[in-house]
Amino acid sequence: MTDRPAHDPTAEQRAAEPMASDQSGNAPAALVVPGSTAVTEPIVLRNELWAPADPNAYEGGRPAEITHLAEFAATEAGRRDDARWSGILEVIPTKADYVLDLLRANSLWPLLSGLACCAIEMMSFATSKNDIDRWGAFPFRASPRQADVLIVAGTLTTKMAGPLLRLWEQMPEPKWCVAMGDCTCSGGRYKRSYSTVEGIDRIMPVDVYVPGCPPRPEGLIFGMMKLQQLVKDRRGHWPERAIGPTVPAGV
Amino acid sequence: MATQTPPRPAKPAGAATPEGTHRSEDDPNVLLQDDYAFYEPIPPYPPRTEREAEFYTLGDGEMFLNMGPQHPSTHGVLRVVLKLDGERVVDIDPVLGYLHRGVEKLVENADYHQTISQVDPLEYISSLFCEWAPVTAYEKLLDVEVPRRAEYIRVLSGELNRIASHALFLGWFALDLGGLTPILWSFIERDEIVEMLAALTGQRMLFNYFRIGGVNGDLNHEFMSRLGDWMSRAVGQLEAGMGLLNENEIFVRRASGLGIVDSETALRFCMTGANLRATGVPFDVRRAHPYSIYPEIEFDIPTRTEGDSLARYLVRMEEVKQSLRIIDQCLEQMPDGPIMAKLPRLLRPRPGRAWAAVEGPRGMYGAYAISDGTDQPFRLKIHDPSFIHLQAVGALLPGNLLADTMAIMASLDPIMGGVDK
Amino acid sequence: MDRALARRLDARFEGVLHGPAKQRHDQTEVRIGAGDVQQVLTALHDEPELNFTMLADLAGVDTGTEMQVVYHLWSSSTSDWLRVIVEGLSRDDPRIPSVTYLWPGAEWMERETYDMFGITFEGNRDLRRIYMPPDYTSFPLRKDFYLPDDAARSPGAGVRHVERTHSPVDAAPGVLRRTGA
Repeated sequence: MTDRPAHDPTAEQRAAEPMASDQSGNAPAALVVPGSTAVTEPIVLRNELWAPADPNAYEGGRPAEITHLAEFAATEAGRRDDARWSGILEVIPTKADYVLDLLRANSLWPLLSGLACCAIEMMSFATSKNDIDRWGAFPFRASPRQADVLIVAGTLTTKMAGPLLRLWEQMPEPKWCVAMGDCTCSGGRYKRSYSTVEGIDRIMPVDVYVPGCPPRPEGLIFGMMKLQQLVKDRRGHWPERAIGPTVPAGV
Repeated sequence: MATQTPPRPAKPAGAATPEGTHRSEDDPNVLLQDDYAFYEPIPPYPPRTEREAEFYTLGDGEMFLNMGPQHPSTHGVLRVVLKLDGERVVDIDPVLGYLHRGVEKLVENADYHQTISQVDPLEYISSLFCEWAPVTAYEKLLDVEVPRRAEYIRVLSGELNRIASHALFLGWFALDLGGLTPILWSFIERDEIVEMLAALTGQRMLFNYFRIGGVNGDLNHEFMSRLGDWMSRAVGQLEAGMGLLNENEIFVRRASGLGIVDSETALRFCMTGANLRATGVPFDVRRAHPYSIYPEIEFDIPTRTEGDSLARYLVRMEEVKQSLRIIDQCLEQMPDGPIMAKLPRLLRPRPGRAWAAVEGPRGMYGAYAISDGTDQPFRLKIHDPSFIHLQAVGALLPGNLLADTMAIMASLDPIMGGVDK
Repeated sequence: MDRALARRLDARFEGVLHGPAKQRHDQTEVRIGAGDVQQVLTALHDEPELNFTMLADLAGVDTGTEMQVVYHLWSSSTSDWLRVIVEGLSRDDPRIPSVTYLWPGAEWMERETYDMFGITFEGNRDLRRIYMPPDYTSFPLRKDFYLPDDAARSPGAGVRHVERTHSPVDAAPGVLRRTGA
């Protein structure tokens, strides 16, 4: 398995690379190469919940066989990005883009996805004493369709992993994910358990990790400010989405 | 278009579906992944039990509504499948397990001391009670006498935790009935108490403070000054918070008569705590089966007879006043002395069994510990009151409107961390 | 500390108990077999001088050789907790009558015990899994279900398995980190 170039996928390189290891007919790639510093092959989840029986339904729609969103982004349909002012201008960040990023950063609306104890600290971070309304993030939306940020607060169990992934997929782009608390960063104190997912970066791309058990509201505020910085610098995972563990398999 | 994806052949309705997919029943032109069906409200397999068959057969004009694991109520990840007849709830099927972390198994594979940090996040807003019960059970196994000062500190910090938990109950109950202000006030109150406890224990939430044989750290200046400062304002803040709600006609009319339980049903459903006391049974573990130094402290047990949500709310608010009384007495009667009993580092209790129950803000919190003589607990079973009360919701909800669903659940005050262990 | 309760139970349930009732701290303990559950618990619940109307807890236990179900009861007539241990359930197919006819609130506790141990409660109308997903096949709290890090090694031996952090990817295999005990 060759070293994957880290962040420079041109269309030809994508076409030349073998398909991901979950496709039939491809041998699973070696996950850890001793001495290499490359990121391992991600475990790609199929993100299709359903497909129209008529291939021309829904305006010709997305191709149903999307296995890796970065591949999709290399296609014609993937390069259409309605959230930006224009496809060409995306190469040169303009003032308009900057203003748009500033708008997004200062009104990040989180999704109410408090799972466990960290949810209480998230609520504390939203209420009077540590007021997140100062950063524009007070409306915790109940519906994923209206939310920007998914702050996963609390232990993720294997039973909840599916619904959480569905929530993440239902969120429209641009979207970011904050892993709050030790349990979402790495499994935390429940790492050895039979029913927890050891860190949500195994199933979704995470932009900011906020460690702590639970992190103080000030800690989460710092995490959100870091996220605002990411938004303004366009350093989040949103432009290229690779879902999979960022930890090598041996660990 | 130069696409790298393989072409998708058109599938007329009725043809065989590709491997791993099936047709949706609502729209035969739509193919669903097989493993996605797992999350449908109606299970895709035939009913396995009598109750499941009874629930998942629809009567005339009924429908299912899935209140999924993520919903705006703040109890946590609970999935409730409601069977509705228009706006009235006919039946419910709560689905748990979205927060099951395997605490009992983890405790079996660790030390006795590590139990405390594993068991903390069960009822995360009343952590000290989650620690208290197993610690008391282990102390019975070890035949350890806890020093009096440690007992007083335990009671003091426990009652503070109880007030914080009831403040949050007030906020969430009002939030589920539609009021947005009380939750902000509750969180102010909780933040103050929790900073106090952080000065004492080092943590805002999952305190990890009790130890087998005592507590971790003694009272310090910062804790005492914050406590004194807060106590002078506490009653006023409580009265203000209650005043928002008790005289609010919308709140009273919605909450009274909602989810009425009579005492016989409550006992049959094994309910404990404020939910039981609101039905007329004056059962409080601190008086019925005294532990720690509660025999030396004077306090009343507020009881009401109506058994509806308003009664549960009022009982909890009365309990806050009694907790303030207990804190006063603890501060007056606090003895000097050590805060930890003398115990070896590596604990090996005698082989045996012990049960301990404490009165948590939600009800009777119990721990059943079995030791086999080694340095790892053989079994720790946690009895959580939220688990029991959530069962009773199935008996209380039918006949009520959909909007009252979350109100009744909020009035029973469940915490999903405890429910799911 | 109610020593009289143990004597009363010995007298009332003579022949049914597997041995005398034991009393320690504030708990009295009796042991019965699976066939006597309904008789004993109904008597404990209904008889006015016993009056154990409150079921505090229902727990399953896997002792390694057999399975047990443990009930904790409370009564206003005595100051002790009563622990009823139903022993002798086999590990292959443990079956026990359900107590949901006495306490409907025991239904979920029995579901939890079934989910964690595989003990079948006959008479429970809703015996399905409660914590694990419905297609889960193991019973996690059994002693033959091991956690991934190969549990049940004593930390007191100097190798703290529950705290072992993973060695870096490029370390030589078999490196064991000994932390100070």
